Amino acid sequence: MKKLLILAAVIAALSVAGAAWAGPVQGVTDTEIKIGQWGPQTGPAALWGAVARGTGVYFDLINAEGGINGRKIKYYMRDDGYNPNRTKAIAKELYENEKIWGFACGVGTSPGMAVMPYIIKNNIPWVGMATGSPHWTQPPKKTIFGVYPLYPDEAQILTSYAIDTLGKKKIAFFYQNDDYGKGGLEGCLRELKKRGMTLAADVPVEVGETDLASHVMKLKKAGADAVIMWVYPKHAAIMLGTSAKLGYRPQWMACSTLSDVALMFKITKGLWKGMIFGNFAELPDSTNKLMLKYHRAQQKYAPKERWGVFFYAGFGFVEPMVEGIKRAGKDLSVDSFVKAMETLKDFQGIMGPITYSAERRQGIKQVFLAKCEPDIMMVKGKKITYGKGKRLSGWLKLD
Amino acid sequence: MLGQLVTSGIAIGATYALMALAMVIIYKTSEVLNFAQGDMAMLSAFVAYMLLSDYGLGFVTSFTIALAFAFALGAFLEFAFLRRAKEPNLLGLIIITLGLEMMLYGVASWRWGADQKDFPFPVSDFEVHQLGGDVVISDLNLVTLGVAFALMILLFLFFRYTKVGVAMKATQQNQQAARLMGIRVGRIMMLTWGMSAVVGACAAFLIASTDTLDPNLMWTPQLKGFSAAVLGGMTSLVGAVLGGFILGVVENLFGGYVSVEFKSVVAFAVIVLILCVKPSGLFAKHYVRKV
Amino acid sequence: MDMKRDYYEDIRLLDSGPQVFWIIVLLAALAVFPLFAGSYLIYTVNLMAIHVIVALGLNLLVGYTGQISLGHAGFFAIGAYATLSLMIDAHLPFLVALPLAGFISAGFGFLLGLPALRLEGPYLAIATLGFGLTITQILGRLDFLGGHMGLQSPPLNIFGWLVDSDAERYAVIMPICVFLAWALRNLTKTRVGRAFVAIRDSDIAAECIGVNLTYYKTLAFAVSAFFTGIGGGLMAFVLGFISPHTFNVMVSIMFLAMVVVGGLGSVLGSVMGAVLITWLQQELARIGELPYLGPVLTELSQQFFTLSGLPNVQYVVFGLIMVLIIIFEPLGLYGFWIRTKIYWRTWPF
Repeated sequence: MKKLLILAAVIAALSVAGAAWAGPVQGVTDTEIKIGQWGPQTGPAALWGAVARGTGVYFDLINAEGGINGRKIKYYMRDDGYNPNRTKAIAKELYENEKIWGFACGVGTSPGMAVMPYIIKNNIPWVGMATGSPHWTQPPKKTIFGVYPLYPDEAQILTSYAIDTLGKKKIAFFYQNDDYGKGGLEGCLRELKKRGMTLAADVPVEVGETDLASHVMKLKKAGADAVIMWVYPKHAAIMLGTSAKLGYRPQWMACSTLSDVALMFKITKGLWKGMIFGNFAELPDSTNKLMLKYHRAQQKYAPKERWGVFFYAGFGFVEPMVEGIKRAGKDLSVDSFVKAMETLKDFQGIMGPITYSAERRQGIKQVFLAKCEPDIMMVKGKKITYGKGKRLSGWLKLD
Repeated sequence: MLGQLVTSGIAIGATYALMALAMVIIYKTSEVLNFAQGDMAMLSAFVAYMLLSDYGLGFVTSFTIALAFAFALGAFLEFAFLRRAKEPNLLGLIIITLGLEMMLYGVASWRWGADQKDFPFPVSDFEVHQLGGDVVISDLNLVTLGVAFALMILLFLFFRYTKVGVAMKATQQNQQAARLMGIRVGRIMMLTWGMSAVVGACAAFLIASTDTLDPNLMWTPQLKGFSAAVLGGMTSLVGAVLGGFILGVVENLFGGYVSVEFKSVVAFAVIVLILCVKPSGLFAKHYVRKV
Repeated sequence: MDMKRDYYEDIRLLDSGPQVFWIIVLLAALAVFPLFAGSYLIYTVNLMAIHVIVALGLNLLVGYTGQISLGHAGFFAIGAYATLSLMIDAHLPFLVALPLAGFISAGFGFLLGLPALRLEGPYLAIATLGFGLTITQILGRLDFLGGHMGLQSPPLNIFGWLVDSDAERYAVIMPICVFLAWALRNLTKTRVGRAFVAIRDSDIAAECIGVNLTYYKTLAFAVSAFFTGIGGGLMAFVLGFISPHTFNVMVSIMFLAMVVVGGLGSVLGSVMGAVLITWLQQELARIGELPYLGPVLTELSQQFFTLSGLPNVQYVVFGLIMVLIIIFEPLGLYGFWIRTKIYWRTWPF
């Protein structure tokens, strides 16, 4: 009851003050822009929570440098536990109560799908969703800008690399049985069909599954010499372990969601060696100037965080948004932002080249491939072996 | 392929069997379905991990301390929460254990974050022994099997031949009468929960070494263990272990020959079918209630 | 509470004058509510109303008939998918599709009720759990139901009125919720309701006096599934998008928690339980932002725990609340309510 009264009072006060309030654009004042993000900070998907935290540090860095065109970013991060109910509530709460201007990133296809109609209806800018699903950008929507390269495209690139460069003849696909895994499968099948080949084995895995012996047996029986994995770290680790145990050693290839080399090497107890994987962002030890700058920011603002792919992805997904706001200039509104975004051509931060246009909302269509190689470093006087990524290619695109 | 599937089935079935044992121990004494089982075990695994990696203690020391922690945790939960419930019915107790499960999950996630960690284990999953033909079984699998059987036999003997074990069975059959006979029911319950937590912790260590260590580790094994216990009969220790093996093998065979997608579903279908024929599980005695 | 002097008093819907008055006040408040509240609050209340419907259904099964079900997310899913596919593929209007989806769900409820005739306690729990998991799996496989990509809900059109905003959805959901609550309350006071309670109290004795267990147990499952199916259909529109992963085991467990925490065997209990649990789920997620507690927790996190894990405190609090409610009042929130009423009735003695 009390909450209702407070809310009513706030709404009344706001509507009275509304006329005198500076700027008709919600979430933007002369000194501030409000941006929000939902993410799974708890629950089974919590390891992707790093994306939202990464964006927070990125905004801290930008604010420390004076903001964008004199406006500082006020950042709102909320936990949705990968539950679409909550994501929708969060989106409403942020947009209507906190009056934010736009949304950044956002992990998860189901959560995003629950929110998308609301975002479209209210014309809210949304940039850099942390999933490679084609839902967001096909067909293109006015204020929604995708960054993450599409799963089918990436799978196609991996498949053609396997056939052309590695000379593999029997490709198999091990994937999570949902939108994400099936997206990858679609791309692989597309490429194989182009060459008149078929998939040696199609092996789905359910999200809660912990025993992969029958999956490995199926792959082994098919005799595949290259297996592309489109799963999450847990399953990748169990798959490699079980395969090693059962004596099955094909050339493993993986999706960019598994590109956190150091983590994967550690949890697979070294079996990640030789894995060829796609990347949507620079490798963690890259000497790219922006990467070094962001790494220093992480050490300053969030020293306890691990410098992993999903943390700095939170930077990379938002780089185009920040650039768009910059280009829109002092007169920032949703329309000026959209127009500014459409001027981005081959804009590159720590991810691939980003291009938008009036009809194109899919920013990146390229990935680069890397291979996992072990390396040794000294920690507290002891030699530790860790996984490092070695670049195998430049930014590959589909022809 | 058949041989390998069966062998792997038995291997994974051993982990289910351990979880099932843990559940049955508590059910045998107090007819409570303990949903907090998995997370009690998971927390103990995290404690072991912390001792191994942050404090650099050896395997034996870390595991022993972690098992002691598990025992203390189980006893504490029973003492602080379950005992306080006034005249609880089955559902109330289930909800209490669910609440405890959430609390434990929250604490573990809060303390260690959601990143996957690797759990070092002295016995490797990669050293394999050929069993003839193409069939392999790893050292870790053998250890798991060994632990499962050893615990099963120990517990069986414990319940049947020791005074405390018999006291536990008495507590389940009629708590009031047990109290009247001089059995300290409170202590028995704490002991039961402690034992169950220790068995669960063993399961968690073994599972964490093939899987990655993160707070969601034990959710699926707990459900499978629960199903295995139901299949074998909730009051039968032998039934729990055999139920675990049957579940593991059936799942693997179905996954290998028919469809990997519906693996778990078929397992449940099989369980329901068997329950229709034997409503109290395969190995437990079916007590017919009187009005 | 009060002594009933004859049969007709017992089956009366509302017991006394004051009760009628308060019900009218409540209904008036519910009717007027959307005019004052923001969209976020209305969305939360919509969720609460849907959860109330499901809790009512589950309470019928668990509280009144004494069965147990860990698989109600399955019926929820069936209701949601059936409603959407009937509207999308069979082009039925919403007001036809929704009850029809409820009946389809009831059919599955009946099927689940059959093994329930032989099982009880943990065995029944596992059977229902398996059912819940199976439904999710199968729904994920069927491509005409969207497969793993899920289904978008079509625009909701009732006799030409396009239901687009949260307030309008509220106007559809709340009357259904009130109607179903009234229906359940009536049901429990009839012969059928009494048969359910008899089964709960002692099913063998009930059979002896002529209650047909087969009929009534499966009926309980079917009616419970009907309610849950309706809730699922409405949920599909509130969320706008459904996929098989929206209906997982945790959802089933939350439903059970709503019923038990609220109070088994009472309509008011289900309402209170559903409202409390839904509210906790939404609000606790923001625990890091509470005015005084927030910074304390953040400090604590940095010292002993991980800062990234801070939002997990919501689980600790949630679990603790559930545990404490059941420990102190096995009858749940309804029990608290009754105790309060008795206390004030006999005050100041």
